[in-house]
Amino acid sequence: MKRAWSLRKVSTEAQLLLVGIPVLIWTMIPVYHLFLFAISPRDKATSGRLWPENPTLQNFEFVFGQKHFYLNHFWLQLGNSLMIAIATGLITLFIATTAAFAISRLKVRGGRTVMNLALFTYFIPAAFLAVPMYKTMATYGLLNNRWSLILAMVTIASPYCIWVLKQASDKLPWELDEAARIDGATPLQLFRLVYVPLMVPSLVAVGTYALLLAWNEYLYGFLLLSKETDLPLAVALGNFLSADDSPWELLMATGFIYALPPAAIYYAFKRYMVSGLTAGAAKG
Amino acid sequence: MASVSFDNIEKNFGKVKVIHGISFDIADGEFVVLVGPSGCGKSTLLRMLAGLEEISGGDISIDGKVINDLDSKDRDIAMVFQSYALYPHMTVGQNMAFSLKLRKADKALTDERVGKAAKILNLNALLDRYPRELSGGQRQRVAMGRAIVRDPKVFLFDEPLSNLDAKLRVAMRAEIKSLHQRLKTTTVYVTHDQIEAMTMADRIVVMHDGIVEQIGTPLELFDHPCNLFVAQFIGSPAMNVFEGTLRRDGARMWVDADGQQWPVPASTSGKDGQAVHYGIRPGNMLMLEPGVGISAKVEVIEPTGAETEIIVKVGETRFTLVLHGRTDARPDQSVGLQIDVDMVHLFDRADGKRLS
Repeated sequence: MKRAWSLRKVSTEAQLLLVGIPVLIWTMIPVYHLFLFAISPRDKATSGRLWPENPTLQNFEFVFGQKHFYLNHFWLQLGNSLMIAIATGLITLFIATTAAFAISRLKVRGGRTVMNLALFTYFIPAAFLAVPMYKTMATYGLLNNRWSLILAMVTIASPYCIWVLKQASDKLPWELDEAARIDGATPLQLFRLVYVPLMVPSLVAVGTYALLLAWNEYLYGFLLLSKETDLPLAVALGNFLSADDSPWELLMATGFIYALPPAAIYYAFKRYMVSGLTAGAAKG
Repeated sequence: MASVSFDNIEKNFGKVKVIHGISFDIADGEFVVLVGPSGCGKSTLLRMLAGLEEISGGDISIDGKVINDLDSKDRDIAMVFQSYALYPHMTVGQNMAFSLKLRKADKALTDERVGKAAKILNLNALLDRYPRELSGGQRQRVAMGRAIVRDPKVFLFDEPLSNLDAKLRVAMRAEIKSLHQRLKTTTVYVTHDQIEAMTMADRIVVMHDGIVEQIGTPLELFDHPCNLFVAQFIGSPAMNVFEGTLRRDGARMWVDADGQQWPVPASTSGKDGQAVHYGIRPGNMLMLEPGVGISAKVEVIEPTGAETEIIVKVGETRFTLVLHGRTDARPDQSVGLQIDVDMVHLFDRADGKRLS
């Protein structure tokens, strides 16, 4: 019996590995390829080797030193990315937290309608909304202003974040609100002193999600912003491809650098990402 | 002074009426228990007093002042919940001080009140712990401590012992009662457990389907239940009840049931031939040798140490007796039941009301 059990366990593991390993390779090959380009000298980048003959950090030096035409505003554009992502994260967090509190804890009228409308917005892909969004920002005179991208990203991220936070809020016991009311808490005090502290894991997950969404955004940034000094780095990277002989190795080095902050953020908050997002997934 | 008054209270949930015109008063310092089966409306009534539910009709007053439109925080009440409702992200000390923090009370007052409550409830060693690090009984004491710190006019308890194991429940019952004797604050306590009601209350309000069946001291309810529902709800083991017919022959009265004649108290009202429910508590019967009193057969013997519960059968009807001490009766043994006739309860079978 013991042998049969081990055989079954091994075969289950083997099946999982059969699926897992190809997926891992499939996912990691482009990343590895990117890194390969980033550490290869220009003429040897497309050599097809698994590891460059003379790996070099010179490309990174070029990038950090802004030593190329396409990298003239690297630090400024990196700063733009950071500012837009953080602003999007914070504003989305504020909107989603207060909306979820109002719908879930204060039980305001029309709460369910807001939730349904929120999900309804995802019926239309973000790409289809790009042109109407452009027109809207033009109407408000926000074109070529970084706030247009921030507001656009907040619009796209908020419905999902409201939905997740509302589901997570529903898991908090009702008696806590009642006890706080009897203790003398106003709704604002309840929000500040009881609700937010208990929702921290979900808030971290949702804020990180919105931040990374904005960090990785290309299309809206490309459409809404045109001045080079306003662009986030993701869009500026796209300009690399506009010439005939694009410096691939510099593009890859920049891309690699650009991927590091989200990887670090995700790694730092991975505990919250799993628990915070799944807290809204299944009602307890 | 902290008297509480319910005046014709009604509650609707949509089209469903759950409380039908309840009126009663609670005197200052009294410990009143609202007891009844699940769904009788006792928690709803308590929550209306707390301000957690809207009042559909009638008035609730504290100290003569109608509080219907006041927020919970302005009613000067404190509540202990069944699930404790402690704030998980705050320490025990912070939980207890929370209401004072909201009122922006100064540190001296907060420390004094929290310290006093912690001393009464033996919580001094736990002030820096978080609720997740406490046992159920400790959490319940913290919940009570939080209520005490508020120094309210009325304490409200919503089935606070339901989540505790049996032994802890007994210990906490005594603690709550002792707390009340010490603080003398008016207390309204909700439970479905009639033993809790009997042991803790100054007066009990028995509720059923949104109405008050009877209000009285524990012994009043035990000795003189006004209807069948109260008779069967109060007392453990429950009163033995069976159907019979009242018979009168001149001055003599009895109840015919199961082919036997059952004695009734001299004060019984009711007509000859009236359909009745005959009730006798387990402790008001004696088991004697066969041939004396009502013939019965022993079915099950349940010794509990100090007492013995015996189930006997008379015809098709089962009776539970409680005897002090031990017995050498055996199952299937024939015995005679002697009924304490002064402790017999008769209820009209049509409306359940008491006949004597």
